[in-house]
Amino acid sequence: MTQQVTDLQINTDMSATPASGTQVREDKLIVRNLDFFYGETKALKNINLALATNTVTSFIGPSGCGKSTLLRILNRMYDLYPGQRAEGEVLLDGQNLLDPKLDLNLLRARVGMVFQKPTPFPMTIYENIAFGIKLYENLSKSELDGRVERALRGAALWNEVKDKLNASGLSLSGGQQQRLCIARTVAIQPEVILFDEPCSALDPISTAKVEELIDELKEKYTIAIVTHNMQQAARVSEFTAFMYLGELVEFGPTTRLFTAPEKRQTQDYITGRFG
Amino acid sequence: MTDMSVPAMTDRTKPLDRARALAAFKLGDSTFYWLTRASALIVLCLLGGIIISLIVGAWPAIKTFGLEFLVTRRWAPQLSPSPVLGALGPLYGTVVTSLIAMLIAVPVGIGIAIFLTEFCPPMLRRPVGVAIELLAGIPSIIYGMWGFFVLAPFMTEHFMPAVIATFAHVPVLNVIFAGPPSYLSLFNASLVLAIMILPFITAISRDVFQTVPPMLKESAYGLGCTTWEVVKNVVIPFTRAGVIGGIMLALGRALGETMAVTFIIGNSFQISGSIFSPGTTISAAIASEFAEASGVHMSALILLGLLLFVLTFFVLAAARLMLARLQQQQGK
Repeated sequence: MTQQVTDLQINTDMSATPASGTQVREDKLIVRNLDFFYGETKALKNINLALATNTVTSFIGPSGCGKSTLLRILNRMYDLYPGQRAEGEVLLDGQNLLDPKLDLNLLRARVGMVFQKPTPFPMTIYENIAFGIKLYENLSKSELDGRVERALRGAALWNEVKDKLNASGLSLSGGQQQRLCIARTVAIQPEVILFDEPCSALDPISTAKVEELIDELKEKYTIAIVTHNMQQAARVSEFTAFMYLGELVEFGPTTRLFTAPEKRQTQDYITGRFG
Repeated sequence: MTDMSVPAMTDRTKPLDRARALAAFKLGDSTFYWLTRASALIVLCLLGGIIISLIVGAWPAIKTFGLEFLVTRRWAPQLSPSPVLGALGPLYGTVVTSLIAMLIAVPVGIGIAIFLTEFCPPMLRRPVGVAIELLAGIPSIIYGMWGFFVLAPFMTEHFMPAVIATFAHVPVLNVIFAGPPSYLSLFNASLVLAIMILPFITAISRDVFQTVPPMLKESAYGLGCTTWEVVKNVVIPFTRAGVIGGIMLALGRALGETMAVTFIIGNSFQISGSIFSPGTTISAAIASEFAEASGVHMSALILLGLLLFVLTFFVLAAARLMLARLQQQQGK
């Protein structure tokens, strides 16, 4: 299944990187000929790319270029709003996500999402994590306790909150809240995690913690991250996609894209000449 | 236009002119301050004045009946040599009608609000919302007439006999739903009340449901929640304070509603266990007897008014307390 989309740019790019020359990467998510519409407005035009398993792929580009829109297609979040529709194919392990008959609740259990601002639920810290787990599994109290602890440890938050699990999720600081949201997403054991500008509301120290976390999470999950911060894209991701006006301009290994971009537009953007 | 006005502006903002302009504002500012302050004080004075005049008016009745007033079931203003008057009947009717009205209106009202914010197709959202708001604008006398001429006959002929027959052999329930069915009854009054307060609960709940940040809802959907799970676990907990506020406002209205209830409740001071029998509420009793009352009878009616005032006050205070508790639990 790895090489089944040979016409995609990613595969040529990957063969150019030393890391992928020796090992074969599998593609977790493949986007093919994807168009997206807000009513009559075409917001995404013929997007083709693939997210490799257990890697971090970042999406950069000026505001309004469609990166968040693309992310919201990958878990069908756009489905909540009437008048938005996607055409094309998005394959998760070979299964088309855009299939109207797909069970959205199960899809969202497989593809988790972390948002621009921390969004803890109006309940205790413990319940914030346990809530998602309880949607899918019927666990005993002790098993549930274990899962909550593991999720909080996984999000590097356990030591800060272990003595106040019954405090409100809203009582945490912004950075802690965002890690709580990451823990909540991790707790239901998704396969893919989407980060939509996860650090845009955080201070530099919290940002560093979240970035470290993303780096650890890729051991287990396939990660896509939208960011306005190009240093962040360079720091956390293996692959970077540059989007502009609804089109995917360039997609390739992060180091290559930032040091030797192939397209003028990419070069202009990463050197700060526009955007 | 900008070319012309820029030099003109710099000319005009000389320091001296600015000082004069500020001085003029100063007078306006202090006038405004005193006006707003006086308005706020007037409200306090009015409130105090109403309480005092109620107490003064009720004083003869308080002296005559004392605390007995609260537990006496008999209401006999014409009894000679001295009338016997007790508030238990109207108190009971007020509490029971409001309670039944809330039992019906709260779930239905919140249900409508959830439908409007979460499920309703956008085409339908506006017409239904406007209809609900219009429902709130209908004068209460119209509800009373409609209740008397349309709702009461229907309920009495079709609904009540069926309920009475169904629960005839169930203990407790056969007392609550005991016959004979009557047009003028606590139950019919409660139904009209429920319809009257429904728009308040719906409109306020809908408005507060709309304040839930879309991103918060999306993150719940993002975990794979169904709409019901999102509403139950995120939307309602997030907006609990506002929803309770709306419910309390509606309860305040139900407790004090006069015209519609007077039309349909029967104005009977008897207390019977059945909600299908006639009764009265504090406000209905005052409205229907005020014109002919004098002496201690009049004073007793004013005392009833004072009781309603106190009852409403306690309901609002309890709501505040409950909210404070909830917020503490949430650790806000």
